[in-house]
Amino acid sequence: MRFQMKLVGTIAAAFAMGSVAAETIKVGIIAPFSGPFAHYGALFKAGAEGYVANQGGKLAGKDIEFIYRDEGGPNPANTRTLAQELVIKDKVDYMGGVVFSPNAFAVAPVIQASKTPFVVFNAATSDITTKSDYYVRTSYTLWQVTVPMAQHAAKKGIKKVITAVTDYAPGVDAENAFKAEFAKQGGEVVESIRMPIRTTDFAPFAQRIKASGAQAVYVFLPGGPPNLGFVKAYNENGLKAAGIEFLGTAETDEFDLQKFGDSALGLTTAFHYSAAHDSPANKVFADAVAKVNKDAVLNYATVGAWDGMAVIHKMIEATGGQRDGDKAMAAIKGYQWESPRGPVSIDPTTRHITQNVYLRTVEKGAGGLMVNKEVQNFGPQVDHGLRK
Amino acid sequence: MKRSLPYLLLVALAALIYFVFPDQLPLAARIATMAIFVMSLDLVVGYGGLATLGHSALFGIGAYATGLLAMHVTGNPLIGLLAGALAGALLALLSGLFLLRYEGLTFLMLTVAVGQIAQNGASKLRDWTGGEDGLTGFEVQKILGMWSFDLYGKVAFVYCFVVMLVCLWAMRRLMGSPFGLSVVGIHQNRLRASAIGGSVRGQLLKLYTLAGAFAGIGGALNAQVNQIVGLDTLGFELSADALVMLVLGGAGNLFGAIGGTAAFMLIHHTASAINPYHWLFIIGGLLVFVVLVPRARLFEALRQRVMRALPVAREVA
Amino acid sequence: MLLLANILIDGIAYGMVLFIIAVGLSVTLGLMRFVNLAHGAFAMTGGYIAAWLVREQGLSFYLGVPLAVLATGLLGALLEVTVLRRLYRRTELQQVLFTIGLTFLFVATANLLAGPEVQLIPLPPALSHAVDLGVRTLPAQRLLVIASGLLVVLAAYWVLNRSRFGIWLRATVDNTAAASALGIPVQRVYVLTFAVGAALAGLGGILGAELMPLEPYYPVKYLVLVLVVVAVGGMGSIAGSLAAALTLGIIDTASKYLASDWGSLFFFLAMAILLAWRPQGLLTARKA
Repeated sequence: MRFQMKLVGTIAAAFAMGSVAAETIKVGIIAPFSGPFAHYGALFKAGAEGYVANQGGKLAGKDIEFIYRDEGGPNPANTRTLAQELVIKDKVDYMGGVVFSPNAFAVAPVIQASKTPFVVFNAATSDITTKSDYYVRTSYTLWQVTVPMAQHAAKKGIKKVITAVTDYAPGVDAENAFKAEFAKQGGEVVESIRMPIRTTDFAPFAQRIKASGAQAVYVFLPGGPPNLGFVKAYNENGLKAAGIEFLGTAETDEFDLQKFGDSALGLTTAFHYSAAHDSPANKVFADAVAKVNKDAVLNYATVGAWDGMAVIHKMIEATGGQRDGDKAMAAIKGYQWESPRGPVSIDPTTRHITQNVYLRTVEKGAGGLMVNKEVQNFGPQVDHGLRK
Repeated sequence: MKRSLPYLLLVALAALIYFVFPDQLPLAARIATMAIFVMSLDLVVGYGGLATLGHSALFGIGAYATGLLAMHVTGNPLIGLLAGALAGALLALLSGLFLLRYEGLTFLMLTVAVGQIAQNGASKLRDWTGGEDGLTGFEVQKILGMWSFDLYGKVAFVYCFVVMLVCLWAMRRLMGSPFGLSVVGIHQNRLRASAIGGSVRGQLLKLYTLAGAFAGIGGALNAQVNQIVGLDTLGFELSADALVMLVLGGAGNLFGAIGGTAAFMLIHHTASAINPYHWLFIIGGLLVFVVLVPRARLFEALRQRVMRALPVAREVA
Repeated sequence: MLLLANILIDGIAYGMVLFIIAVGLSVTLGLMRFVNLAHGAFAMTGGYIAAWLVREQGLSFYLGVPLAVLATGLLGALLEVTVLRRLYRRTELQQVLFTIGLTFLFVATANLLAGPEVQLIPLPPALSHAVDLGVRTLPAQRLLVIASGLLVVLAAYWVLNRSRFGIWLRATVDNTAAASALGIPVQRVYVLTFAVGAALAGLGGILGAELMPLEPYYPVKYLVLVLVVVAVGGMGSIAGSLAAALTLGIIDTASKYLASDWGSLFFFLAMAILLAWRPQGLLTARKA
């Protein structure tokens, strides 16, 4: 009993200490900096630091100190330890980052107990934000980008679609989203293929897609080598030649895009951010990030971190640099701003970002580089996964 | 007195961590959890002489069993530990019946297969396990009805450390018993052991099942403290990491297993805080070094010196 | 009928890729009894060198690839002479750990030198189109892999069974001391064999890159796959490795056509069953 009393005392003391307005705001970023996903960490870093640099090095008059921690791969136990350490040892005011959904789930009890706002830069399972009141998300969910894609396919007169997704949680999310919306629009999903996560040879799936008689294939892949492999199989097995349309989301992401070469030409995707988005805000973003890291690719990870810092900026303004998680969270509900991806806002109920989703086609841009050319704006989309 | 001294030293060390590094307790709790797993691996690899890369299957099934029990039946932590132990032992027994018919590389590859099948299965049963998102939403009750897990990891640390000590004690008793000695005899010379009599495979199966129970306890702790179970608890990487930890500390010695775990995780934690990109250089270099510079030249010399200095250590080794 | 043809065509093509990546390991692991988990690292090295020569230096594919294979072989020889030969008498576990450590160093180096991106080896026009097989098309590159795989089997068979070097090698493996006493240059045999194993790994890395793209984590990602092929095939049996690679390739491909929802379960179940049935290797009957 005495043990417990002491505990409550120390926690109270820690928060009392934190509530004095600080001159330096500490932001802990948890991201993969090692392992096969290390590029996410580098892009988060470039996006976040680019944002602060673009604001003249200070947010709302406060210096920003970033503390980076490595989540490695999907490892919730490790991530939880890192988050606890950031809170109790480094005494961070805000946290951000996280690529993998299980890692994001693992952090929930820590931020709930310490009332630390956490801006999710990437992890895309819809219900993450429901697990703590201190989550806000600036990335996207598969429902958010897939629903407009399904609507578009139906409008275009496509009646039969086959889905081919990688067999893991986000892939299943994507499949469910497409099936649900496409059925609502009166279309038919003739077959749903789930491709094992370790697949390296996609030829058999390409053959199955070809044999299914579908007019289009809705695809979800986890990024990196599988993307290259699938698109290669799509071309080599004559799917493109047969006119089976490719409907994707993040598959033509800028990080891999140049590796596809000409095989990517004409692929269509529905997504919230393209490096080729034509707006002043996107130019500012590109210049600011290039100054911090000239090799950094502009993609959903970079822009997720950039907008994550925009949210943290707003929270610092609202609290005047004081440690007040509830006030900070209240301030960003419904907050609107101009992002490099277009106008965005934070949905007050889901704390997920509301944003335009665009239909894009891969084209050869200036200098022979591949770009995701935005051809249609589907308008603002909420997270259809939480708002269904 | 002499027998309890190593435990007293460990308790003193824990007290030191608790009071001097109060902001590192979550990490210390993870080290204690992992140490149980690595000690369990030591039973199989160090004592039994069976090189395995599928040990995490036993850890992970313990974690999932505990998580599912807490979600659907009871969140009592001690019953959770028991469930973890049972699940680990059961999987070890069932897979061991098949695995232990083989030796060497064949055995190694089959353990990999068992691990991969378990991970695949957990991913497939996503309605039960949460798949890649992990199993969440289960509540763990207060320990002994008195302490609940806190933000600072104090209760988690004490809990994990006590469980680790109990496991250490049990495993040492086990390996010091006639059964343990016979297992070491099998490791040293399978042929002679079978000539002396007794079933080699039976003894190894018993060892593997017991090791499975301890690995399951490690998994159970992991589930309870973190309130989430991910597919990584069944993964190949966890098995490989544990093997590295074991070898860094010296296989065939349970205290070495604890030391190796602590060293590996502390280096990882520090190195990845300074410059995560170069973590692989460090761990790769360490592995190469440990094998190239034989322990006879380095660790043995060091250990002997320590033993001479401390009468306790002799008893330990 | 078309389905069966598809399964066979894709299965054989995939199996040949598996074989060409795994065959080098079968040489070092089987013939030299050295558990070389750094095999994937050699494969990656070959691929990276080829990508660098062909893409960055503008060499022709037909010149760049042999050079890269040669360079990987030389690197293997260098490592054998400097460190690996000290490890032949160590336990399996120590060899495993050392070569895992070595693999990590290769991964970190690749990441440091070339970054995390996938490295592409540009294919010459003759290989980058699809060939019509009548029932369907197949990329020309796959045909090159199938041809190379067959060539490797024939060459290995000839070297091991017909050449003087093969006699030396078999004698050395059977009894090093006796071979040495008979005047066989044992050390040179080991260096050469290891170099050939590394060079074959490099070839596999290059030719397999279409399916297993080259990136820093390549050696870790595909290690299990390669080990499975060698273990099922039986250590040291090159024909066994071929049989194993084709069997597993066809089973895996069939599961993709017929039961993809079960994931890699079939692959590992098939492996477990094959290993349980023939622990010494697919083409070797169980010893009593």
